[in-house]
Amino acid sequence: MTATCREACCSVTPRLTVAELFERGFRRNREAPRAIAGAPFTGAEDNAASFSLDVAEGQIIAVGFQASCCATLIAYCEYIAQIAPGFSLAIARELTAANLVDSVPGVPPFKRDRAVLAIAAFRGALLSAADEIHAENPINESRLHFRHPAQ
Amino acid sequence: MKVAYIFATQRNNISNVLAKMILPQLEQKRHGADVVGMFFFEDNNYVLVDGNPIGERLHKVAKDTGMLLMGCDQCCYEREIADKLFPGVPIGCFPDLYKALSGNVPDQVITL
Repeated sequence: MTATCREACCSVTPRLTVAELFERGFRRNREAPRAIAGAPFTGAEDNAASFSLDVAEGQIIAVGFQASCCATLIAYCEYIAQIAPGFSLAIARELTAANLVDSVPGVPPFKRDRAVLAIAAFRGALLSAADEIHAENPINESRLHFRHPAQ
Repeated sequence: MKVAYIFATQRNNISNVLAKMILPQLEQKRHGADVVGMFFFEDNNYVLVDGNPIGERLHKVAKDTGMLLMGCDQCCYEREIADKLFPGVPIGCFPDLYKALSGNVPDQVITL
């Protein structure tokens, strides 16, 4: 029996095209939102997007989104939805629109502003998730003043 | 009369109807109507790829007359040509098409 090749030539996940991302994103766009919903954001040309997250122990478990029916916007949102699971909230916040544009080649320049909208909406959901975690586990500030500052 | 053409069916629409009928008439300024826009679906978008000989002529007419050329975004993404079109030729879907034509509204929209 031949073992599966684990070298870079075979193990790298092939990069999805915009059309493939759109196909998958179109279906995800119609799914029910995840537990933590982010605020909706509106961009140029009346496009809108919002993300929702399932989060456990500070890590993103699953991502959902609702976006206007714009192929480019849906493709960008789907890319985020595919890569974000497994990220901590802090790491996910580092994802930028420029990263997104670089990671999804084939989009003409005048459509790339959708990446900004997608990232803004994703960060909105990250903010909601951070608020929810904070509400569940409020920081006990008393421990910060265990010693009197004058001591 | 102002018209807009939507190239929706494939077969020999581009090589025959566009290249041998509409385009020569536009070049000779004897088409009989002002063409304010053309929108392309499916494989018809290949005419918009930079370097296409029919597209070169069409692009020149569009630049000279202000005619809108637009490719269907999903069709172009499927074919991985969205970023390979003639300079300034946009891709989009119906909202983009209607918005682009709103400043020069056609009297008739003809689907070919």
